[in-house]
Amino acid sequence: MDLLVEQIIFFAFAGMTVLAGAVVVAVRNPVHSVLALVVAFVASAGLWLLLEAEFLALVLIFVYVGAVMTLFLFVVMMLNIRELPSREGFVRFLPLALFALAAIVAMMVFVIGPQHFGLAQYAIPAHHGADYSNIRELGLVLYTHDVYPFELAAVLLLIAIIAAISLSFRGRRVGTRSQVPSAQIAVKSADRIRIIKMASEPKVKR
Amino acid sequence: MIPLSDYLIVGAILFGLSLAGIIINRKNVIILLMCIELMLLAVNTNFIAFSHYLGDNLGEIFVFFILTVAAAEAAIGLAILMVLYRNRQTINVEDLDSLKG
Amino acid sequence: MKQDILLLIWTVIKIVAIVLPLIIGVAYLTMAERKVISYMQGRIGPNRVGFGGMLQPIADAMKLLFKEIIIPRVSNRYLFLIAPIVSFVPALVAWAVIPFGPHLVLANINAGVLFVLAMTSLGVYGVLMAGWSSNSKYAMYGAMRSAAQTVSYEIAMSFAFVGVLMAAGSLNMQNIVVAQSGGFWHWYWLPLLPLFVVYWISGVAETNRAPFDVAEGESEIVAGFHIEYSGITFALFFLAEYASMILISALAVTLFMGGWLSPFQGIPVLGAWFAWVPGLVWFVLKLCFFLYLYLWMRATFPRYRYDQIMRLGWKILIPVTLVWIVVTGALIELHVGPWFS
Repeated sequence: MDLLVEQIIFFAFAGMTVLAGAVVVAVRNPVHSVLALVVAFVASAGLWLLLEAEFLALVLIFVYVGAVMTLFLFVVMMLNIRELPSREGFVRFLPLALFALAAIVAMMVFVIGPQHFGLAQYAIPAHHGADYSNIRELGLVLYTHDVYPFELAAVLLLIAIIAAISLSFRGRRVGTRSQVPSAQIAVKSADRIRIIKMASEPKVKR
Repeated sequence: MIPLSDYLIVGAILFGLSLAGIIINRKNVIILLMCIELMLLAVNTNFIAFSHYLGDNLGEIFVFFILTVAAAEAAIGLAILMVLYRNRQTINVEDLDSLKG
Repeated sequence: MKQDILLLIWTVIKIVAIVLPLIIGVAYLTMAERKVISYMQGRIGPNRVGFGGMLQPIADAMKLLFKEIIIPRVSNRYLFLIAPIVSFVPALVAWAVIPFGPHLVLANINAGVLFVLAMTSLGVYGVLMAGWSSNSKYAMYGAMRSAAQTVSYEIAMSFAFVGVLMAAGSLNMQNIVVAQSGGFWHWYWLPLLPLFVVYWISGVAETNRAPFDVAEGESEIVAGFHIEYSGITFALFFLAEYASMILISALAVTLFMGGWLSPFQGIPVLGAWFAWVPGLVWFVLKLCFFLYLYLWMRATFPRYRYDQIMRLGWKILIPVTLVWIVVTGALIELHVGPWFS
């Protein structure tokens, strides 16, 4: 019964992933495409959880869906939709695209299908116990054996930050006024008001 | 009981879909970038499936780095797209022909 | 077969046991907010409906349920209706990993903190979809600001969690609570005090609450991203915001304030007197304290300007967390104090 549940979960998530992938390439509105891609990522995170890669599945949702796809959505929303190229090439290239899809999938099924990679060749591995920590296992390798690629990946991300900022930041335009928050916070009350002691009004003589 | 080939076929279908997307969508740069992300997803699924069935952590480490590189590439690709839109007011690939000889 | 169905039914019962009190809590949190802020401002607050105003949330719920759902004609209909759902569901799902007692946790997974982070980052999409599909200027501005703010403060929050991870040695929420046992001074708020403060500020900013509520600033851009929503759709956004508030408070309690542990644990006489109190009661009391802190902050502080929010998140909170993570590493290596021996 365990197995039936596992199969149901697998087919549900795999079906959602494939369907969402098809929606990404087929719909007209780019915002719908981005959201379908988000669904594809979340569904494939479910598949990765089935494969006992919990750290990577959750990092996929947290980093990819939570940040990179948000970036995509921001860019798509800020570009004016009416100016995006229309889908005139859709009908013209559809047969070629379907042929390419069928060819690739047929080739792959031929090469990596059940006859070579089925249950007979690669048995189901034993499931890990309840206190197996995928994060711990990855950490043990990443920080000892693979620490050099790890640090290089960090440098790569730093370079990506610098590149993205230097591409899109146009510099402060001359003549724009802006505020300096640190100067605003450093203001003391003595800079803004001055308390003067003065005599109150003399008594009015009636 | 899900054999390894099932996961690999899912990866293959995703890869084929993204290729079909690139063929259909030759003009729109954003859809091209999204099809690349879909391709990377297919490859990642493959790696993790193999990592699980072969009992080796190496596949997951590799996926870790692929995610890093893919995020960096998406960020820079979108930055280039923004600058392109700012200067040319179009994201149609066919309009980027100023170097045509 | 029968085993699995029984397990399924038991899990559903556990889920209802978490979600139902949560929804009732959300309803009465709105009531508590209005009363607390009223008293802080020198007035009484709702006291007409029911005894002392206690049925006010029910009246509000009935009103919202019976209101007409207005869908703007030029909006994107399906996204418009899906957005509140996408906003509401992650706030509920994240409750699956919070421990309420020594054996009271729905999913005791070894990546609990990461799961919560993943779910809170999914909430951004509800806001973005709502803003975009409303096809309205104010909604779009509010949504963009709110999404940028959420993504920025997620980073500071994650660094605060990294500090807790280093201190506890595990991402399993139950293990983190158990690692803090020993009494009030053993909890992680003390060695990780800057991270605690940063986490709290980031949590308030994530949920778009005052003083970081520029996205839905009631006096500025009317209602921001949910300006076009009415009736049950608005109620879902409202519920999502308050459920996120309770979630952030629950995380603060679990990760920094000892979760369900008793504050009298190490003390010789008082510890024995209060040992019979179940962990759930301590959890709820600490939760109420943090919710009161939320309401207090709303009543007291003026609203931050958007560029001030961005500056705070990127230029102040992240460097503080980076420095304190290094300090925490040093504290752990030197086996300082009762926390890291």
